Amino acid sequence: MGVTVHVKCSNGAKFTVDVDLNSTVKDLKTDLAGKSEIPVEQQRLIYKGRVLKDDNSLSSYGLEAEHTIHLVRGAAATAASAGAVGTGRGDARLAGAATPASAPAGTPDLDGGLGGFGGLGGLGGFGAGLGGIPPDMHQMHQQILQNPNLMRDMMNSPAVQSIMSNPDLMRNLIMSNPHLREVLERNPDLMHVLNDPGILRQTMNAVRNPELMREMMRNTDRAMSNIEAHPEGFNMLRRMYETVQEPLMNATTRGGDAGAGDLAGNPFAALFGGVPAAAQAGGGTTAGATTAPAVPSGPAPNTAPLPNPWSPQQRTPAGTASAGITTATAGGVTTPGSATTTATMTTTMGSAGVGATPFGLLPEIGLMDPATMLQMLQNPAMQQVLQSPAMNQMMQTLLSDPSLLGQLTPQMRTMLDNPRVREMLQSPDFIQQMQRMFQMQSLWAPQLQALQGLGGAMGTQGDSTTAGAPAPDINLNALLSILGGQPGGAPASNIPPEQQYAAQLSQLEDMGFYDSQDKAYKALNAS
Amino acid sequence: MSNSAVVVPRNFRLLEELERGEKGFGDGNVSYGMDDGEDVFMRSWTGTVIGPSNTVHDGRIYTVKLYCDKDYPDKPPAVRFESRINMACVNQESGVVEPRSFPMLANWRRDFTMENILTELRREMQTGQNRKLPQPPEGSTFTC
Repeated sequence: MGVTVHVKCSNGAKFTVDVDLNSTVKDLKTDLAGKSEIPVEQQRLIYKGRVLKDDNSLSSYGLEAEHTIHLVRGAAATAASAGAVGTGRGDARLAGAATPASAPAGTPDLDGGLGGFGGLGGLGGFGAGLGGIPPDMHQMHQQILQNPNLMRDMMNSPAVQSIMSNPDLMRNLIMSNPHLREVLERNPDLMHVLNDPGILRQTMNAVRNPELMREMMRNTDRAMSNIEAHPEGFNMLRRMYETVQEPLMNATTRGGDAGAGDLAGNPFAALFGGVPAAAQAGGGTTAGATTAPAVPSGPAPNTAPLPNPWSPQQRTPAGTASAGITTATAGGVTTPGSATTTATMTTTMGSAGVGATPFGLLPEIGLMDPATMLQMLQNPAMQQVLQSPAMNQMMQTLLSDPSLLGQLTPQMRTMLDNPRVREMLQSPDFIQQMQRMFQMQSLWAPQLQALQGLGGAMGTQGDSTTAGAPAPDINLNALLSILGGQPGGAPASNIPPEQQYAAQLSQLEDMGFYDSQDKAYKALNAS
Repeated sequence: MSNSAVVVPRNFRLLEELERGEKGFGDGNVSYGMDDGEDVFMRSWTGTVIGPSNTVHDGRIYTVKLYCDKDYPDKPPAVRFESRINMACVNQESGVVEPRSFPMLANWRRDFTMENILTELRREMQTGQNRKLPQPPEGSTFTC
């Protein structure tokens, strides 16, 4: 009994075939193999919500004339499909980076897994203990740190996931680094974090998902400002910084006694030794004008000054007495790619790395040639620009509206591809000009806000962050000059504070911060 | 507005859906049909969703059971994955699509169809949270 049935492919193609309803599904597939160019073994036929089995007859499924069967190309070898799909993109890019880490495949065997994890260690700062990593891992780390997308892909690979979901393995990896272990042993709270797979998982999710990440950052931001509002809260934050973040940083930066191979495997060593200025500038709003003196890439501990407390990242309006002073610890030192790292630490440890910057979250960072980017960021003038409230505000507006960001991306890319634009961006003159422009803009802030209102796409967040800034009784320029005037190195502690910070204090008083000298000293010292 | 519209009785509505399923209207990524042609109440249905490309579900075929009780389409059908799938709105014990995490069922409207449900489930597979979730081996099924 021959009838005509329709076959619809998932790619949109359609055929009409004459079939005998008493023939088997296999017969039909053989017939279709010629028309659809899909080999019989990859064909999946679906009719009325059912996958047709080769040996059954067509009539057993109730097929009738003029009915439609769906044809899908299935995986040839069904076993490997899951893992392969998941890691597809990550693998390709890792291979492009000429690293040994492209191994993770369907089965998360330990070798492939560790390869992936070495890179991942860069993110979590946990890769430090993997000895004997070939030197090109070092290069890979840098690439990864500069490319959040790559990182996300990697996080999504099943191999990495399986490692991260294995708390024991994680613990071993971390414990194998003597410095990290020392820090952890001194801080039972941190240990607790490591022992709680839930927190790890949460962090991984956040790293994978930029939306979630942003949300978490926002929450942390708020939590920090709450803590700061509390009397003694600031001191607590500072203590936390001293007992947790600093040693941790040192632990991860010191690679010397473990040998060169280990150094290469230590993401933070690479990070702070190889690209110190970038680490600061990537922090953008945190480090700003107080550029660190280049940190020697050897085993010396991290001598970079602590982050600038005057980070304009804070949400508190500058008009309130506490504002400028209490954010001392808020700045984490981050690189573009590893803002997520800091975020990870921030959220898991509740320590003071809030300063993960707009840049870290911006996917654009991946658009640029890393070298150019570094150069740009290393330019002190550029850092000042980045630090200016107007820029900061712009960033926040952008970040608060993903669709706007999406619109901008292609434009940015074309712009950045233009060598002249790059040249311009690198020229100090241009940057100074931009800076002046931003300063002007901040003076015109009220008008600017009106403009923003017009540009419908802009979120409301921008307004709330600037609300405090243009208040008439605050001398914004004075504030800026304080921000810019921070000394580069750690302040010599034997100068009496009132003398050392005389200029800043008088400026503070000009702005109406009368009764907060003690706090001010602390904040200034902490910086 | 809906008051003035003609209310299609259950059986007519299901016959319409049956025909759409057999004729394969739609985008070709979902398919559905009745389990038992003899069941005059047309309650038990089977649907398939073809995993969207560029996700972990790419190339997979998921089988979904839909049960249209007497109050369909005033109430949504019960929806349950037969193929094992790791997805936020799917109960990992039973494969049931939880209405509270699958808005289409929670905010059911009479003019929604089973095809809509399957298409929406497919869209759900493409969302950020679900597209990369590690998946159980293809072909495994929920046991109950």
